[in-house]
Amino acid sequence: MIQNKVCLLGTSGVGKTSLVAQFVHSMFSDKYLTTVGVKIDKKIVQVDGTEVMFVIWDLAGDDDFQRLQTSYLRGTSGYLLVADGTRRVTLDQALELQKRVAETLGATPFVLALNKADLAPQWEVDEAQISALAAQDFTVIKTSAKEGAGVEEAFAHLARRMTASA
Amino acid sequence: MRSAQPRKPVDDLAELRRLINQPERDKLRDLRDRLDDKEQRAHEVAAILPEAVTLSGDRSEELTRALRPAVEGSVRESIEKRPEVFIDALHPIIGSVVRRSIAESLRTLLQSLNQSLEQSFSWQGLKWRFEALRTGRSFAEVVMLRSLVYRVEQIFLIHRETSLSLLHLSADPAAAQDSDMVAGMLSAIQDFSRDSFKTGKDEALEEFRIGELQVWIAPGTHAYLAAAIRGNPPRELRAALEDAIERVHVLRGSALAKFNGDAAQFESLRPELEPCLRGQYQAKKTSAGTNRAWLALALGAGLVVAALIVGIQSEMRWQDFVRQLNAAPGIAVTQAEKGWISKSRVAFLRDPEVADPAALARAAGINPSRIRFEWKDYLALDDASVLRRFEKRFGKPAGTKLDLTNGALEIRGAVPYEWLARVQQDGIQSPGITSITDKDVKVTYDPDLALGRFRRAFSPPAGVIAKMENGTLLVAGTAPYEWLAPVRENAAKLPGISRISEEHLQVAYDPKLVLQRFSDRFSLPDTVNATMKDGILVLSGEAAHAWLMRVRPGAPTVPGIKTIDERNLTDLDLRAFQQSKSVIESAFVYFLVNKDNFATEGFAALSRLPDEIRRCLTAATRLGLEIQIEVRGSADAVGSGKRNAELSQRRAEAVRDFLVNCGFEPSLFKTMGLGAPPAADQPAPEQADRRTAFKVVPKS
Repeated sequence: MIQNKVCLLGTSGVGKTSLVAQFVHSMFSDKYLTTVGVKIDKKIVQVDGTEVMFVIWDLAGDDDFQRLQTSYLRGTSGYLLVADGTRRVTLDQALELQKRVAETLGATPFVLALNKADLAPQWEVDEAQISALAAQDFTVIKTSAKEGAGVEEAFAHLARRMTASA
Repeated sequence: MRSAQPRKPVDDLAELRRLINQPERDKLRDLRDRLDDKEQRAHEVAAILPEAVTLSGDRSEELTRALRPAVEGSVRESIEKRPEVFIDALHPIIGSVVRRSIAESLRTLLQSLNQSLEQSFSWQGLKWRFEALRTGRSFAEVVMLRSLVYRVEQIFLIHRETSLSLLHLSADPAAAQDSDMVAGMLSAIQDFSRDSFKTGKDEALEEFRIGELQVWIAPGTHAYLAAAIRGNPPRELRAALEDAIERVHVLRGSALAKFNGDAAQFESLRPELEPCLRGQYQAKKTSAGTNRAWLALALGAGLVVAALIVGIQSEMRWQDFVRQLNAAPGIAVTQAEKGWISKSRVAFLRDPEVADPAALARAAGINPSRIRFEWKDYLALDDASVLRRFEKRFGKPAGTKLDLTNGALEIRGAVPYEWLARVQQDGIQSPGITSITDKDVKVTYDPDLALGRFRRAFSPPAGVIAKMENGTLLVAGTAPYEWLAPVRENAAKLPGISRISEEHLQVAYDPKLVLQRFSDRFSLPDTVNATMKDGILVLSGEAAHAWLMRVRPGAPTVPGIKTIDERNLTDLDLRAFQQSKSVIESAFVYFLVNKDNFATEGFAALSRLPDEIRRCLTAATRLGLEIQIEVRGSADAVGSGKRNAELSQRRAEAVRDFLVNCGFEPSLFKTMGLGAPPAADQPAPEQADRRTAFKVVPKS
């Protein structure tokens, strides 16, 4: 079985850990996120009939208080860039973060997850912005860690993109 | 000879070309032939194929991937069609593998058992067992932890670039963690450390410790080994880990460099890493340690056997005790329960006279305090108990033998009189004794007791000395006859006195008592006067002949009478007899002349005769005499002699007839015809001659 290291990136509070919690059964406590800055989970997904194992690195949020440890990105086959749809600024920060990651990893498959789709009326990110991102070859998927909507789809898209780039 | 004909240029050119090209053409032909010859080509390919496969394997996985479908298909088809080929081929391998697996499992089990047993019988083992109870861990786990020096519990081969787990080995597969996530976290921690402390890129966290567990990391170019170790490993382990990671890179260096997420290709490295799953336990005495489990098992078995033996012996002792108790006279066991932990219990009926059951228990090797005795009293009637009770009551003299059979007591041997007397009197009253026989006993007498009995029975008077000697009562001194008489009669009847010796005894007689005894014995008539003088009985007066006849022989037998003096004693019957005899013989019956008729005077005499004859007969009878009366007839001288003889006979017969007619027996009389008296010078008819006279004579 092919293994892939997958990272979850995003500003603090956008719901990365909640997304992972929806997606996997965790082994380690969330406190590692605040101590070590990363929490490792695992999930096996089917990609075009082939099983692929995601070793998911849930990285601590990148903000003013805690910078992303880029060393954690080494060997990443793909990553999920997470932003909070209700806070436009998180999207901007995610895009900024993506640039930094790209500098470190190079061209690496990723998917942009706009989380908290269950709070659609409060969203600050509109469809136009989403379309603009799509035009830049971003794969944007609305997710709801609370309701589970779009979570599986986001990881499946990432898997397909990783497979395609391999 | 050389040819003179010139060569054409064309031919020369062709020849030249042939000379130049021919070798290559030959080689090309040979190559074509070789290519066309499949057999030869197969040989050639076979010659280089192993080397080519080896080179290809070293360079990349392409050959493997290329061959995999064909090999897998071929194997699958072969298994489906001819499974026996694989079975035959795998059988010895699988057998060996299974045996090795079983042997390894047994070795591990024995080692674990060894450790457990080793610690189970020690103070430390008890402490660990308490710890197991306290912590909730299994004892084996505590033993392992406490006796462990170190043990490599898990080995992770982690790809350095991707942090993905390439291979994971665990000493305890059940306890294995998810290697993928652990590998990720390990890598993250390494990165975290490296980033936090700003170390060089090639620097790495080499080890860290958490409680009893520590993780050693052996870095490699493309991958590193992480060993989770419990305990305190030696430094040699690090070298072993570093050797292992180096071998991994040598064997799979290119694969590691080109790792694309497929960790299956590194499974072949497992044998290389398995030796790293090593451990060490606290130093053991290897020479003895190897056999320690067996020694413990043997000790345990020995204890079990010893316990069995002790148990069997205890049971046998108990059974023996119960059997002996039941067989003991006077005890009847009704219930017996052996108690292994609690006290044993035995219930029985017990004769009060029998021995203490506790003594029987001690004799059987059982502590009586471990037995609860419960009994009820009863009177045992078995022979042994009856005999024991008898002996307790009467004792058993030395030399005496007692046999009791079904209640019949037989006494034999030497038996003291007093003991026998008591037994004869009261023995039959002893419970269980129905009869007593003493036919074969030899009664023995104690002289003092015999003399005592004599003294008590006869109270010897003063002046009498009595003693016993060999059963003879020796009486000496002077003793009144009256005391001595009953002694003589009865003393020998006393037990222990067979006879009496009066050799040195003088008997004193009281005359009055002697006379009284005489009078009492012979009824002294009033007509007789009796006195004693110096032991002589002096009789005077008159006494019947019969009395005299008794006294004469009898009186000297009266104690105190030596002889009789009867000179002054008249025999009344003798005197009467003599008087009657005299009267009869003086009587004459006279007859008429020449006739046998009574004369008148004759009648007078004849009429008195019958009474006198009766008196005579009575006296004669009393004197014990049988008498006959001769009737003597006579005639006077007148007449012839013959006639006088006849006449005198007739005259006697006439008297006899007269007396017979008076009631006397004819035999009492004897008639005699005396004839006439001798003739005188002148015969004269004298009446005195014509008579019949009488003579009383003893009966002939």
